[in-house]
Amino acid sequence: MQIIEEIKKNELVKNPSEIQKICLEKLKLNPLPNIKSELWRHSNKSKFLSFLDYSHTKKESKVNFPYDNASQNVIRFTIGENSSINLKEENYSIRKLKDSEIFDYIKKNISDFDQTDHWSDLLNHCLSSKNNILGLNISGNKIPPIEILSASSYNSFNAKTLILFFEKNCEANLLQINLGDKNSSLCQSTYLCLEENTSVNHGVVSYGKNKSNLLNSLNVIQKAKSEYSLSSLHFKFNYARFEIRINQLDGDAETNIKGIQITKNEDQIATYTKMQFNGPNGILEQINKSLADDKSHSVFEGAIVVPKIAQKTDASQLSRNLLLSKHAKIDTKPQLEIIADDVKCKHGATISQLNKEELFYMRSRGLTLEEASKLQLSSYFQEIISCIPVSKDRWDLLDKLLKEA
Amino acid sequence: MQSKTKEFNPILEVNNLFASTENLPILKGVSISVKPGEIHAIMGRNGCGKSTLSKIIAGHPSYTITKGEIKFTGQDIQSLEPEERAQSGIFLGFQYPIEIPGVSNLEFLRVATNARRKFLKKEELDTFDFEDLVKEKLDLVKMDSAFLSRSINQGFSGGEKKRNEILQMALLEPKIAILDETDSGLDIDALRVVASGIKKISNEKTGIILITHYQRLLDEIKPDYVHVMSDGQIIKTGESDLALELEKHGYEWTDNFSKKQ
Amino acid sequence: MVSENLVKNVVTEPYKYGFVTEIETEKISKGINEDTIRLISEKKEEPEFLLNFRLNAFKKWQKMKEPCWADLGYKEIDYQDIIYYSAPKQKEKISSLDEVDPKLLETFDKLGIPLTEQKKLTNVAVDAVFDSVSIATTFRKELAEHGVIFCSISEAVKDHSDLIKKYLGSVVPSNDNYFAALNSAVFSDGSFVYIPKGVKCPMDLSSYFRINSGDSGQFERTLIIAEESSSVSYLEGCTAPMFDTNTLHAAVVELIALDDASIKYSTVQNWYAGNEEGVGGIFNFVTKRGKCLGKRSKISWSQVETGSAITWKYPSCILLGEESVGEFYSVALTNNLQQADTGTKMIHIGPKTKSTIVSKGISAGNSVNSYRGLVKMGSKAIGSRNYSQCDSMLIGDQAAANTFPYIQSQQPNSEIEHEASTCRISEDQLFYLQSRGIEFEEAVSMMVSGFCRDVFNQLPMEFAAEADKLLALKLEGSVG
Repeated sequence: MQIIEEIKKNELVKNPSEIQKICLEKLKLNPLPNIKSELWRHSNKSKFLSFLDYSHTKKESKVNFPYDNASQNVIRFTIGENSSINLKEENYSIRKLKDSEIFDYIKKNISDFDQTDHWSDLLNHCLSSKNNILGLNISGNKIPPIEILSASSYNSFNAKTLILFFEKNCEANLLQINLGDKNSSLCQSTYLCLEENTSVNHGVVSYGKNKSNLLNSLNVIQKAKSEYSLSSLHFKFNYARFEIRINQLDGDAETNIKGIQITKNEDQIATYTKMQFNGPNGILEQINKSLADDKSHSVFEGAIVVPKIAQKTDASQLSRNLLLSKHAKIDTKPQLEIIADDVKCKHGATISQLNKEELFYMRSRGLTLEEASKLQLSSYFQEIISCIPVSKDRWDLLDKLLKEA
Repeated sequence: MQSKTKEFNPILEVNNLFASTENLPILKGVSISVKPGEIHAIMGRNGCGKSTLSKIIAGHPSYTITKGEIKFTGQDIQSLEPEERAQSGIFLGFQYPIEIPGVSNLEFLRVATNARRKFLKKEELDTFDFEDLVKEKLDLVKMDSAFLSRSINQGFSGGEKKRNEILQMALLEPKIAILDETDSGLDIDALRVVASGIKKISNEKTGIILITHYQRLLDEIKPDYVHVMSDGQIIKTGESDLALELEKHGYEWTDNFSKKQ
Repeated sequence: MVSENLVKNVVTEPYKYGFVTEIETEKISKGINEDTIRLISEKKEEPEFLLNFRLNAFKKWQKMKEPCWADLGYKEIDYQDIIYYSAPKQKEKISSLDEVDPKLLETFDKLGIPLTEQKKLTNVAVDAVFDSVSIATTFRKELAEHGVIFCSISEAVKDHSDLIKKYLGSVVPSNDNYFAALNSAVFSDGSFVYIPKGVKCPMDLSSYFRINSGDSGQFERTLIIAEESSSVSYLEGCTAPMFDTNTLHAAVVELIALDDASIKYSTVQNWYAGNEEGVGGIFNFVTKRGKCLGKRSKISWSQVETGSAITWKYPSCILLGEESVGEFYSVALTNNLQQADTGTKMIHIGPKTKSTIVSKGISAGNSVNSYRGLVKMGSKAIGSRNYSQCDSMLIGDQAAANTFPYIQSQQPNSEIEHEASTCRISEDQLFYLQSRGIEFEEAVSMMVSGFCRDVFNQLPMEFAAEADKLLALKLEGSVG
């Protein structure tokens, strides 16, 4: 628990910022999340400890995007590489947030963060130095795809923060890539604020190498008439947690969440989502798919909260799980908390293996069991992967990665 | 037997076959032998075991053979996987072709065709050559090429699913085709299309088993033999006029037949 | 349709079982300690093994903490302010029903459960429990002819101690949870059922629980054993008078089914729920669990939960035997300030086990209605299947409905399917019924009972009727 020791001894950061000071204070008293709470009880303790067992103090190595951008017009950022950004084009503009804007925003947020619900973000803000916070204000439309890379370095613990403000009427495609190096832990916190009438298509692709760990926290605030689509893919992690909190501040917005997690070997990947409707006429469509093989453990917990004010909410959540090995384990808990009476909410969950009738059909046409399974698996993922905003020429990479996975 | 010429050896022989699923016996001693060029029809009420017989021949894992044997071109196929049976030339046209969302029909057809071609030691086809082949076969069943880009059977009407089955049969060029209620759910025009497709695909080397309730498919494709099945057994075998009698008298008529026949 | 007629019959009285029977009772003093337990055991003339069972449980209970569920809010219970034994004063030994205090017989008469020979229900054997003791059990002789044992658990302790020794606590261990431990320490009475090998119980068996005194807790214990190839249908009903204090009810029910045996356990729970302001009512913290020990055994729970201020109850099945079957059918209705946290656990251990869960929650007023369920496929549960369906209906804009399904699988060759939905009574549906001349409240009742149809179909006839009636009664005034 190197990180925790460093927090306790207060020797993490040489000149802590005010934010870091506040968060260090909050964590010093009680540095670990309550592992008995619903959000943490499935976490494999030794894996969680191994996530904490890297030092923060090392110098980070430079990481490149996993593919080049020769053929297409994209806007790229790597969190931690301090480039000055000020793009002003005919249809859109992207500018870096001022330090004060970032400070105000995080400070406002952490004031009501608590140990259980937002431990990941508190940890992140403790450790994420000014240099490792990327804040952007994005407005306009016809923006080229934005790609943001966050990565951890070999044998270390890295914390990165991303804050994106999407101004009114903005339309954007965003791809976030989280790369885990060998023996490393990445703690990524992301905040997205969607103003009225924005439309954001957000892809998250996270994958690691041998013994990579990831704590990925995503906080999204949606104002009225905004549309937010998230498509995520997490695989190849020794331990990964993906926490998604989405708040439809005034309702009347659309949220679409699609996620895939693939676990092999002894991996543990867990996804937690909390969808909060704070106004009427909100829409949610969510599907989470997981595949667990070997001795791995896959967890999904999803909560949909519909208070009285959120009349005419229409929410659906589906958790589909494939269990491919008798040593693997799946836990899933889709949950509804509803007070408004004029709502349509449903959720569903299935755990099964590949559909035998479908396999037989394909085999009766001469496909081998392996070929048929592959076709079935790729169709299982297709629905979600096809939504990730990745341009066609980079698709090969994703395809290749998935085949390895 | 040994002295006969090769053509007269049966393609498919089912000998005194007993089979069950979840400890429930379904087939109780079925025998049938199909020679090249022959068309057999199996008729019977729902639940008599017709579909089970077809699935067992294709190697469905839910059924266990408790007694008897199935020989395909002289070889016992009990130990063969479903795909090995398909590759070697056994084709099952499903009564209810399953929908497989997300899996492209074209890709599926290509992989299946190449698996069969590989078995036949023919050259495997790349995407372009395969598209040419498949378009040629589409005409046989009067299908639009738009079906190729859709997921397997997903959102297909009953008739479209059945045509898709026959399209697969055309591509795989089986030695024996077992068509399980290929006529059900088809209007008369669609039935003619499917029947003419079957006739064009089959030749003097192909064996066909038609599983059906009704005479109307047999009006289009005249069978050489008609078998009546009841409670897991074939209780009567005759020529094509047996089907007409059945149509006239209904299945109650067959209740009087001795099961030992 | 049955339900329509029933709804018509509904009377407008709020809780018609709310009366108190004036009867002299024997109570022990408030509070719990080792002496209390010794005293209870002594009063019941129990063998030593049972006293030890109780003392052991008490020790464990003292070390345990009261569970704290996020979704149940209630005032702290003072366990020293409860009377753990209360019994109507009667003659020392009662040899026939004629010797039972007429006031007690009258009470059960009023509750619609006549016990006397002339009036008793014709097709149901009843064990009537009043506060801490069993008053009478009907049809004993007839049942004995078939070898069926149906008596109070106190009698069983004396007459069938080998069975009690073998099975008591074998499904719900005394340290299973806080309330089960408390029950194991102080349980007073309850029913015992034993169905011998190959016997199909000739009539439905039923226990009727009545809490009468306001300051005593009710801790009954039920044990049902179905031997190989036997079957039984068991019904349980409960009511309590209206008091403005809360009464604790912490029961334990254990079911055991051996090879090819089947147990059907149905409950209509109508404890006093408190008034509209949430004052008074029963705290219903119950542990019910069945063990499908034998191959192809089956345990089926059906419940209609309408009463109690707070309900905390998860009738469960442990599916050990190959091809055993667990079922859970539930309707939970909450109104006013009631809180219900109910559901089931289906633990699949043996291969080819099957379970079905159908839960219907209806929340009205300011109530909170939660489904909490666990489906677990153990690593040996090859070829097992579960199907769950949880539907909630919300009436009014202050009520809350929560669904918390916990699903866990370690067996790839098994299938779990869970579906849940939330709905309200649609205006179009209401309008359609009203346009055919059906009164508003009646239309609502019809829709609610339609919503619960899948579950009511599982209940024995008399119970289904009662359940329908109850729902209509409970919903009175909650709409419009």
